Amino acid sequence: MPELHTDPDLQPLADIDQVIHAPARLMVLTYLYVVESADYVFLQNLTGLSWGNLATHLGKLEEAGYITIHKGYKSKKPHTSISMTEEGRKAFREYKEKMQKIFDNLPD
Amino acid sequence: MSQSMDLKEAEKKVFRTVYNDGLWDVLLGCFFLMFAFAPYLSTIMGDFWSSAVFLPLWGLVYLAIRLTREYVIAPRMGVVDFGEKRKRRLKKFSAVLMVFNFVVLILGIIAAFTSGRVSGSLYPYLLGAFFLIAFSLAAHVLDIIRLYFYGLLSGFVPVVGEWLYVNAGFSHHGYPVVFGTTAGIMILVGVVLFLRLLIQHPGKPPETSLEEDIHA
Repeated sequence: MPELHTDPDLQPLADIDQVIHAPARLMVLTYLYVVESADYVFLQNLTGLSWGNLATHLGKLEEAGYITIHKGYKSKKPHTSISMTEEGRKAFREYKEKMQKIFDNLPD
Repeated sequence: MSQSMDLKEAEKKVFRTVYNDGLWDVLLGCFFLMFAFAPYLSTIMGDFWSSAVFLPLWGLVYLAIRLTREYVIAPRMGVVDFGEKRKRRLKKFSAVLMVFNFVVLILGIIAAFTSGRVSGSLYPYLLGAFFLIAFSLAAHVLDIIRLYFYGLLSGFVPVVGEWLYVNAGFSHHGYPVVFGTTAGIMILVGVVLFLRLLIQHPGKPPETSLEEDIHA
């Protein structure tokens, strides 16, 4: 791994956003990127993640400032809606561009 | 490139998830039931009231669908607010459908005032074309494949009804049979989708502890 940082050719790999790069978080962000907001149950159904697993990943994404979790009420019942922040959208686009660059330059 | 295609697919998947509960299929089926029963009612109530009497029924079905969505579907499937692009697409679709309905309404009025001279035997074909175009448009915009099937089904229905009327002596241009069958198929599809959803998503996870779980 130390060579990774010193080799300028492989530097883009070291710059990959590790918060987004985890498959479960990438899946959550992909769905959140294409909608305005979604609630916890909707995300759980789409991603197939368990309750605890999803909560852990959402916590990490919220900590990074990529999503906001809004706790409110809908029809007098507690309702949690999750949306991507501008910072999250920017980071997601950057991640996409970096990954594309890496694989575009990969020899066949 | 493949990344952008995946995002498109993700967006479509999100959209399809919301419309796969079967409830709109039931509403469509109820709409087609009008064509099946109205011919019988028209002999008692006249042409206008035989159709108008269905409005409260649609209202009740619509209300039932809204309540089912809120109290049965939402706790199981969750709630999503679509992105701007999809919202714009839906608005565009509503506008096109409204213009299309308006044109058909004008054509219908012209046909009524000319005592059928304009439409004449073309009526089943025009009605079939209307259903085919409207459903195909909806299928394309909403990305729901089964609407193409409904378009084909309802596109042939008036023509088949007319054929049964002329060649097999069916009453009321064959409408009770062909529209009744179409309505039955749509309602059946809706009920199957709804029951499948209930079986696949029997209960609701404990939403109340989410905040603690995230910050644990």
